[in-house]
Amino acid sequence: MLETVNLKKVFKQNVAADDVNLYLDQGESVGLLGPNGAGKSTTISMISTLLRPTSGDVKWHGKSVIKNPNEIRDVLGVVPQEIALYKELSALENLKFFGKIYGLKGKQLDKKIQEVLEIVGLTERQKDLVKTYSGGMKRRINIAVALLHEPVIIIMDEPTVGIDPQSRNYILEMVRQLKEEKGMTVLYTSHYMEEVERLCDRIYIMDHGKVIATGTKEELTSILSSEETIIVDFDRPYPNLVNKLEKNESILQVTETDNGIKLIVPKGSRQLGTIFNLAEKEEAQITSINVQVPTLEDVFLHLTGRKLRD
Amino acid sequence: MKALFLLQWQRLKREPLLIGSMMVMTIVFVLAMGGFRVSSAVSVPTYFDASVQNQKAWLERLNEATEGFEFFATEENRSKEDIALGKYPYALQVMEDDFRIFMLAEDENLQVLKQVVAQTYLKEKRVSTAAAQVDEPEQFRKQVKEYLSEPPIIVSKVTPGPLEGAPSYNQKLQTLYGMSLFFAMYTIIFSLSKIAEEKRTGTLNRIILSPIRKWQVYIGHMSYSYVIGFTQIVLIVLMFKYIFGYNVGEQMGAVILTIASFVFAVVAIGMLILGLIKSTDQLNAVVPIVTVSMAMLGGAFWPIEIVSNDIILAISNVVPMTYAMEALKAVSMFGQGLADIYEPLAILVLIGVLCMGVGVNLIERKA
Repeated sequence: MLETVNLKKVFKQNVAADDVNLYLDQGESVGLLGPNGAGKSTTISMISTLLRPTSGDVKWHGKSVIKNPNEIRDVLGVVPQEIALYKELSALENLKFFGKIYGLKGKQLDKKIQEVLEIVGLTERQKDLVKTYSGGMKRRINIAVALLHEPVIIIMDEPTVGIDPQSRNYILEMVRQLKEEKGMTVLYTSHYMEEVERLCDRIYIMDHGKVIATGTKEELTSILSSEETIIVDFDRPYPNLVNKLEKNESILQVTETDNGIKLIVPKGSRQLGTIFNLAEKEEAQITSINVQVPTLEDVFLHLTGRKLRD
Repeated sequence: MKALFLLQWQRLKREPLLIGSMMVMTIVFVLAMGGFRVSSAVSVPTYFDASVQNQKAWLERLNEATEGFEFFATEENRSKEDIALGKYPYALQVMEDDFRIFMLAEDENLQVLKQVVAQTYLKEKRVSTAAAQVDEPEQFRKQVKEYLSEPPIIVSKVTPGPLEGAPSYNQKLQTLYGMSLFFAMYTIIFSLSKIAEEKRTGTLNRIILSPIRKWQVYIGHMSYSYVIGFTQIVLIVLMFKYIFGYNVGEQMGAVILTIASFVFAVVAIGMLILGLIKSTDQLNAVVPIVTVSMAMLGGAFWPIEIVSNDIILAISNVVPMTYAMEALKAVSMFGQGLADIYEPLAILVLIGVLCMGVGVNLIERKA
């Protein structure tokens, strides 16, 4: 339905997106995961025709949207990362304005506004000025505006940045319902891997402007299927212990965490004994130990050597 | 486009402070610099010797003698102190048959003051000497005053200049037009800055993604800025015409057409500035520099006619304020009509078209 072909954007000397190839099928939810500066926003700006690519193309049902941006704009709902609203106006006034520029009017406009307010759960507060809203409420109205004209595809650029966990859950649940109940196609960008894991059927992992991995969550984590993650928490830091673990050749990766260390080891290599022995020698007090299956975070770490939030 | 235009008014209704303050500032400045100044006379503190009879009548005589000085009674010590502090340039001591002038420094008005006071003394001496010869001196004085109010010979001076019936050059209109145009530039450019703000907040992208075309977005913003700037100037001019009694001449249509052309040029300059700046912070820094410079060079603060520097005069030729002030003064002060001001109006439109073309182009390139 929608695909990008070798999409590239260069700003002066900086390559923001480099040969990005991705596709979205009708009704699926696709995640674009990567740290800040990975090129996610640049990519979706090109897909939504706000930014002209340096090279490559975006195709909607096989037709280039670079030449005919209006082809895709009518069916596209974009939720930008920033709160793109008139804060001195009420939610209702904002929705009325954006509805009108999409050609909605009269009862049809009123009906649609009430419908999207219902979806984002702000019917009661519709007459309040946006500037009086909490961060989470602003984000919800930001989404509501993108839903007004009943888009086929909704592109969400980090829609949960800077909000409390409750609002975040509300938004994630809302996105899930849009996909499952309304059959909307969703392109969701985030640097929170748990959001992408929860919402998306397929995931593209981006770093330094390039797509470095793609697939379902299971396919991506299977990259690390031969490995397992051990998280050990201590009562305080033990640098000597970390050094000794790093020198151990059977341990693939050692990363310091807030409360201890995170180890990636070959699956079934039985490293727990080694860890306990070294801890005993260093007189380190273990407060907890947890053996995990690999996460997307681990995959990203494995592919780039960096954490998603670095 | 209509939705965008109406949206800006809705936003103005919610946050009217900026535009409202520009209107209030215009009124305050016009009144302070032009409206309340009833006289440009030099104030002269005056005190009397104890021997001087009827001090009130002396003050009246001195004030009737000239419009250039305004004599008012005060204490001797106070007047000397005021002179020492530089509050007034002169003080006058009135004695029975003589006078004394105290001054801070000798200047060009001193001789005039001396002459006025000496003439008043001489005239009073003549009248009082004659009055002493009659039985009813007060009645005699009254008769002399009545006779002189309609003297047998009147000397009148005629200088070529304004057409008959037309108001002459005056500071009040200079201030009214200068301040109205100056503050309207702020209103217009800051209204246009909403485009930059929309770009920053992301609402512009939302609008661009809608079926509205980009040119419609620009027209929506420009027409709002145009209407608000035009309305501001016209309202102020009408207010001063009808409430404060300013005589703006008979050619109101020509005044309005000049305002319309000026606002068009300023909207275009606003677009050019928006095309050149990179952020709203830059815009906030640039706007005062541009508006104040244009007002100074274009004769909004003082008549451009008093400027003799060739460089400043050359620069003023590319400033729309120059042509707007020229046309407005020609119409309101010298009674000229549309046919006489077509040239400055044409230049205003030309400046507008050029700046608009370059400005929109620059904005588009950055988009």
